[in-house]
This record gives sequence, C-alpha cells and structure tokens, in this order.
Amino acid sequence: MSWETVIGLEIHAQLSTKSKLFSGGSTEFGAESNTHVDLVDMGLPGVLPVANKEAFYKAIRFGLATGAEINQVSSFDRKNYFYPDLPKGYQITQMTKPIVEKGSIKVLTDKGEKLINITRAHLEEDAGKSIHDLFEGETGVDLNRAGTPLLEIVSEPEISSAKEAVAYFKAIRQIVTFLDICDGNMAQGSMRCDVNVSIKKSGDKELGTRAELKNINSFKFIEKAINYEIERQIRVIENGESVVQETRLYDSDKNETRSMRSKEEANDYRYFPCPDLLPVVISDKELQEIKDNLPELPEEKESRYISEIGLEESEAKIISSSKTMANMFEEASSKTDDIKLVAKWLVGDISALLNKDNIEIDESNLSPENFGKLIERISDNTISGKIAKSVLEEVWENGSDVDEIIQTKGLIQIQDESVLEDIARKVIESNSDQVASYKSGKDKLFGFFVGQVMKETQGKANPKSVNEILKKLLK
Amino acid sequence: MTVKYKTIKEIKQMISQKEISNKEIIEEVYKLIDENSHLNAFITLNKDRSIKKAEDLDNNPSDSSLAGIPIAQKDLFCTKGIRTTCGSKILDNFIPPYSATVIENLENAGCISVGKTNMDEFAMGSSNETSFFGNVHNPWGEKLVPGGSSGGSASAVAAGIVPAASGTDTGGSIRQPASLCGITGIKPTYGRVSRWGMIAFASSLDQAGPMARTAEDCALLLNEMCSHDVKDTTSLDENIPNFEDSINESLKGKKVGVVSDLDLSSLDNDVIGVYENSLQEFVSLGAELVDISLPNLSLSVPTYYVVAPAECSSNLSRFDGVKFGRRSENPKDLEELYVQTRSEGFGDEVKRRILIGSYVLSAGYYDAYYKKAQQVRRLIKKDFDEAFSDVDVIMTPTTRGPAFEIGSKGSDPIQMYLEDLFTISANLAGLPAMSLPNGNIDNKPIGLQIIGNFLDESTILNFGHMYQRKTNWHMFTPEGVKQ
Amino acid sequence: MDKKTVTTISYLSRLKIDSEKEQKIVKDLDNIIKFVDQLNDVDTSSIEPLTNPLEKTAKTRKDEVTAKNLKKELLEVAPSANEDYFLVPRVVE
Repeated sequence: MSWETVIGLEIHAQLSTKSKLFSGGSTEFGAESNTHVDLVDMGLPGVLPVANKEAFYKAIRFGLATGAEINQVSSFDRKNYFYPDLPKGYQITQMTKPIVEKGSIKVLTDKGEKLINITRAHLEEDAGKSIHDLFEGETGVDLNRAGTPLLEIVSEPEISSAKEAVAYFKAIRQIVTFLDICDGNMAQGSMRCDVNVSIKKSGDKELGTRAELKNINSFKFIEKAINYEIERQIRVIENGESVVQETRLYDSDKNETRSMRSKEEANDYRYFPCPDLLPVVISDKELQEIKDNLPELPEEKESRYISEIGLEESEAKIISSSKTMANMFEEASSKTDDIKLVAKWLVGDISALLNKDNIEIDESNLSPENFGKLIERISDNTISGKIAKSVLEEVWENGSDVDEIIQTKGLIQIQDESVLEDIARKVIESNSDQVASYKSGKDKLFGFFVGQVMKETQGKANPKSVNEILKKLLK
Repeated sequence: MTVKYKTIKEIKQMISQKEISNKEIIEEVYKLIDENSHLNAFITLNKDRSIKKAEDLDNNPSDSSLAGIPIAQKDLFCTKGIRTTCGSKILDNFIPPYSATVIENLENAGCISVGKTNMDEFAMGSSNETSFFGNVHNPWGEKLVPGGSSGGSASAVAAGIVPAASGTDTGGSIRQPASLCGITGIKPTYGRVSRWGMIAFASSLDQAGPMARTAEDCALLLNEMCSHDVKDTTSLDENIPNFEDSINESLKGKKVGVVSDLDLSSLDNDVIGVYENSLQEFVSLGAELVDISLPNLSLSVPTYYVVAPAECSSNLSRFDGVKFGRRSENPKDLEELYVQTRSEGFGDEVKRRILIGSYVLSAGYYDAYYKKAQQVRRLIKKDFDEAFSDVDVIMTPTTRGPAFEIGSKGSDPIQMYLEDLFTISANLAGLPAMSLPNGNIDNKPIGLQIIGNFLDESTILNFGHMYQRKTNWHMFTPEGVKQ
Repeated sequence: MDKKTVTTISYLSRLKIDSEKEQKIVKDLDNIIKFVDQLNDVDTSSIEPLTNPLEKTAKTRKDEVTAKNLKKELLEVAPSANEDYFLVPRVVE
C-alpha cells in the first residue's frame, strides 16, 4: 500500500514591535523575569486592552508580500482556556476577521518550485512562560512574554513531505525577516510552529484524521517530528486501528511524538467577539503608505544584484537567500569598490563554513559589521587574502572583532618593499640549487620562492609585491 | 450643623459660607456610618486618609468643583492601596496597585472617597443578597432589600450618610436600587465614562454613573466622572457638555415617548397610578406625551441573560487563584487549584451565570444562543433608534414595584431576573437612563425611569431637574420629608 | 440541559458542583435556558449581530513602551510567589 502525506503548518512569528499587542509593556527578550509586565499583561481586574497599530502594519506587510487579501476592517475574539501563563483565562486572537487572508508563497522543493497557499495570517497575543524544572514541586510563571504580538500564519494542507514542510517554513522565515517584521530567531522562540499531519491512501480524495504536533522550534525537529509521525500513523492504520484526532508533543530526546493532555478533546475554546475591543480599521491611505514603503523582497534583491551590480545568477541567489546574508553583502559592498570580491567571499569561504557547520548565517558568530570590516581590510591592503581566511576562522569561532584580531596578532601586511626585498634576497641566497634549476627553465619553481617568502613573513607579505620583487631578483 | 440628608449643592454652600469645616463633614460622615452600621452598606472604610484629606482642604481651601464632598465608592472600582472586593470572597484580600479612572476623576475634582460600598457579588444580583459580605438593608425598612447591585451605594445615600455615591449599571444596577431607595441615579451612555479600573461583569453593557439625592447633583457628579480615556478604547471622545447648563430649560413642546406595547398588567395598580401621575406632571410642565412602539422590548430580559453571562463567563476566568486574590489551601495539583479556588471563591449566583455563559458560548450552542441574542439586541436598538426620531425621552416605571423583603423572591432566579424588565433594554442599546423618585407606596419609595437618546444625558437631567423643581418626592427620607 | 451537559460546562468553567446542590443547579440552568429559548421565535435571518452598542471602530496605540517595572508590586498581590516568579503546583506536560 502506498500512502500520501498531507501537512499543514501554523507558524507563530513574534512581531518585532517595541511594545506589546495590547499594552505599553516592553517586548525585549531575555529581561529579568516579570519586569516587562504591565497591569494589562497581568490581567488584573478592571484593566482593558488597547491595540498596537504597528502590529497591524507589520501583519499587512506580510499580507502584501504574499499577495494576500488585506481585511481593512478586522476584529478580535477571545479564545477561552485556563493555563497559568495565560493571565486572563483567555487569549485575544482574530478568529472571524483576520487581518490577512488568502495569500501564497513559492517554495523550492526537490521537484522544483511549488506554490503553497496561505489560508490566513492573524494577530494574537502570546502567553507567558511556565518554568517547570526550577523549583521543587512547583511551576514558576514569568509573564514577560505575555501579550507579545504574534502573527499566526496558517497554510492550506498542501504540503506533502517533511522536507517540503521545512522548505515552506524556511520560505516564510525568509520573507518575515526580509520584511523586518520578525527577527526569525528560532532559538529565542521568535518563530515556532504547530504541524498538522495526516495520511491517506494514494489517490484518495478524502483527508485522513490529523494529529497536531505542538510548538516545534527548529528545522531539524520539524523534519524529524513529521517523519516520525507519518510512520506512526502508517503503523496505526496498517494494524487495523484508526488515527485519533489529538494534540501530540514531539520529544526531541527520544525522537518520538506522544499524546498530550488527555482532556484535550473535552476542551472547547468558546470563541466569541472580544467585547472590550471594537473593530480596527486600516484606511486606504495607511494601506498605500505600507505598500509604498515595503522593504525589498528576496526575488527583487536577486534580480537587482544581477542587473545592477552584475553578479552571476548563482551568486545573486545565494546572497539574497537570507536577510543576514544580504545585509552582509550590502554592508561590505559599501566598504570597497571591489564588489565581486565581496560576492566571492560570501559564496566561497563563508558558504563553505556554513555548510560545514550545517547552520544558517544568522546562527553564526559573524555579524554584517564585522564582515564589512574584513572586506575593508582586504581592500585597503591591511591584510592579505590568506591572512583574511585565518581571521575569518577566528571570528567564526568566537565572534571577535576583526580589527582586534589583526592588532593583537600583528597580522598587518608588510607594505615596505625594501623589507620584502631583504627577505627575498635571503630566500634566494639560501636556496641556490633551486635558483639554478629555475634559471635553467623550471618555471614552476617560482611558486616555491613565493611560498618561502610568505613563510618567512608568516603570511603577512602582500603577494602581489612578493611576485614583483622575486621576478625582478630572479631575472 | 449637620450634613445628614444634605445634597452636594447644599454642602458646597455650607463649605463656602464656612458654616462647617471639611474635617467636621468627614467626621460626621463616619459617625453616620457608625450609627447606620446595621445597614451593612460599607465593606471597607478609608477613614484616616479621608480625615487627612479634609484637614488638608481646611488648611488649603480648593476651588475644585467637588472639593470636600464625601463620596461612597462602589467596591467594584479598583482603588490603589485600598481593598477592592467586588462583593466576592475570591477578592476579599485584593489590594489593587492602581485606581479606576472614575475614582481618579472624582478625587481630582476634590471628592473624598470615604469608603467602599457593599454590592451584589461581581454586580450580579438585584437585591444585594448575593454579596459575600452579607445583605445590605434598605434604610426605608430593615427587612427590605435596597435593590442591586449598587445596593450599598443606594442605601448610604438614602440614609443620608453621604450626598453622593458611585455606582455601576449593567442591567439596571444603578437605577433599580435608586428606585427602591428613593434616590436619583443615572446610567450614562455606554462609553461616556471610562471602564478602566471597573471590574468587568459584562463589558459591552457595564457603565459607571452617579447616585445622589437629586438630578442636579447627578449633573455635578457626571461632569467630573465623564472623560475621554485612552486606556479604554470604548470610551468616547465626543464633546462632554456641562450637564448643569441646560437643566433649567423649559420642557415646553418637548416630547415624552410612552411605550404603547409595555405590558403593565403584572404591575400593581398603585405602581401604575404613580407612573401615570408622573406623566401628567410632565404634561403640566409643558411636555407632550407621544405613543411609541418598542416591539422587541419584552425580549430584552432573555437577550440580556444570554449576552451578560457569556461575557461574564470569560471576564471572570482571570479569577483563578494564580496571580491575585484568594487561592484555595493546599491544592494537590493545578486542576484542583483552579476548581477549588473558584468553587470556594464564587457564590451561587455568580457560578450560575458563569455556567450559563459557558453553555451559550460552547460549540453547537453559539449560534442558537449567543449569536441569536446579539441579533435580537440589534432589533432592540433599532426600535429605540426609530422611537427617538419622534421623541426627546422615553419614560417607564424603573421597577415593577417598591422594595421587596429580603428572601422574598424565593429560589427561582428568573423571578429575580425579571426585576430588571424595564431597565435592561437601555444597557443593550447603550442608551443613557435615569431613575428618580416619583412616589411612595406604603411608605416605600419608587422611581420613574427616563431613557434618553445616545449621548443625550443633558435632556434626561433637564427633565429630571424640572420634575424635582415641581415635586418633592426626592425630599422624602426614611425619617420624614426633608425641610 | 442535563447532568452530563452540566458536568461538561462546569469542567470548562473550572467549577465544582456540590452533589447536594446538583439537582437544583441543573433545574435552575434548565429553567434559564428554557426562558431564553423564547429568542428562537424571532426571525433574525438577515440581522447582523450587535456585539457592542458603539457601532464605531477602535482607537489604537502608537508602538511605545510606557510600562514601568512593576515586578515587586505585582508579585506582592500574588497568592504565591517567590522573588522572581508566580508559583503554582508543578505542571506536568
């Protein structure tokens, strides 16, 4: 029997506003517990929410970038359930009239490009954090995150494999970071997702019963969790049982999913329009302004890099693949006239390091500013390309400042030609045999002399100068 | 010199003539509270701070509009540093870190908040019998209810303890106790007064308002209570008139809507008589009676008992024993913490409404109940919109009769719900409405309701004041007619 | 409205119904639901629900941080907290 997989993703992207969705509390990450909690975030008796317009603007950018419909009148509903980190006993969300509906996004799969439809993207408030393992027998609640604006992006169930799900997630992450509406930081939980997985017999029209995998926050785990779940569902059905509609938790330690909260079926969120909040209207003028100021998207960047800067298509593709990569490119390009050199480093050494470590550029220790410095120091001949490689390796290790590495390690390139000439003479004197061979026609030995000079200077010599000096002396 | 049974206007006069000091006023208020402790009108007193504030005023006289006026605050408004219980066990230890906008507005105008008044638990009740802190008694008769939910506020004003009190009105909670205690109270247009710091019962219906001895005093209070508050997005940024300005306008040619399809058959003849006499008083003041139709009025009680419980079931979820208020002792797990805390902390009426609310919002029932009720609500509002194209105000009795005895409504909640038959529709439609005393039946006061058009509190207050210039029902006290 | 429904809604509401009161509560709730059932006789087929009497749109905020650090005050009103967190019995996921 062959099976088809049907997957839908609900991605929660934290919007990068300064303040919360309904209060003036700060959204800063990593602050001391419970210090960013406004009266409203605490859900004290008598407090009232007031919506943050910027969250709407950011959501609309996403809608415009995915060709979606923007609901210029959208409203809020309450989703009722009890949990310690949900201070009001309900979450304010957009059930009936979401700000964004019916968009789509292109995803690169093994079989080529595929268009995945986005059902809706709506605003809602995040919950706080429950800390389960810090105290004996007790759970601690930190409400700093409570009320942070989320954009929940819901896909149609059109994704057909774990790999495709990851590609879709990456495409969404790419677009929200390019739009500057979410920092895309998975480790800090700025993007998380719930995955709906079901299977059906090949060719069947009807969808199978789905399981929802909750709160997964890395690409690796999305893929593993889905693959585990597909196999589990096939096993269940092939054993003659049926899949239960339920929420399952992915345990990354054991690489398995397991049923969560047995009472889940009894839950009924009793959505209804939030009586504290009137509908929010976006005027035509506001909408136009957002359209006019929409940041450049990956595809636009790619074609600009090709047509205006003259990059190769393959280079342009890699460089525009992530916001950080593009930032690096643009930052470093402002420090040099040799833009090809910038592209060469990004596509060459840096991409190689990324592949080696299997990470994304923004997970690395390299910042756009630091990369800019590196390029600047190569272009102004402070360091050679070879030294630059070792500097990059060090930055990659620990994120140190490029100039600091150059200073403390004394890596500044030797510019003084008389110094280089002295060294070159010494090399020639102590290698008389090789000199004789070279002069008798073994041209390839030239490289040997360059190598010796570089060795003597610990790589700090400007290779171009060394070439010229050696050519002159070996004539 | 005494301030007992005095109006705000009279006390202001006494202060400005230096007949009494601010401290003497406040000290007398606390003496009156003591003497009337059997009324159980207050839950928490604010004595030391109030006396201090009065002394400060004596040392530095202020020309704020309500400087030195003692006011009782319904215990539903959060008051910074002062216990705020909402009449519930679940909040019996809650000391808010902030104050409601209404409280700040009144205190900025010079009012001295002498204490927090008793009320039906979370404002759910029409007799003050649901308070965790015990019944409030009506100064007109020990055995009588004061009405609810703002029963403590009504009782304190009616007993002459304070000239003013704040109330809140979700389905009649200012007007019904005003009627049963023989005082004047107004529920403003939804959105006139900020809800910030008012503990929510039903957010789309709740509105705070003043309770006092006269329409004129209500105008003075309302001038200060109303504000446009950025912390409440349902607070209207419409022009706020000086409500005193037009209270003396002639009623000549103004039109009073009389609801032709109002079913008065269940009312006593005495009640109908009092109501009809009042209508004639307005005719003699030059107003014209116009028959109007509100065909969906009879649906207001069932509509309300879907909408209000739905909103309250969600609004009261935050009382879960986690972040504030009372928590049950030694819960064995989180589930028990929730269930025990809420089951111990809420009284029967509150539980009943939460359960009804959860039911009408649950999957499968939402359309049949919640959505349906909100559709009928629009019909009710439409009826009013049409009626107000012909008339300036609409009049009905406020209540079906005068104060009833504590415990007399038995155990059928619907009997109690029907108490609010005449008042609920103004909340559903968001309209301003007032109750003022218009008669006595067996030495028990009763009130007339005047409903106004959207944002037109001025006209209601004008009608009320002109009526009180001509009649003396508002001068009646439990100790006889005030001279 | 029957016992089973009451069990479900009391679970959703996190309320426990004492067994001696159960019968009365079921009856009360049943009566209330029957009472509001009269709404079903009204034809509302083309009527938009009215969820707030203000048929207006919301005012919104600018994206500004206005909150102060209230950690101490807020943890003080909590029924159980240490110097950093609100505390509840251990939640097992």
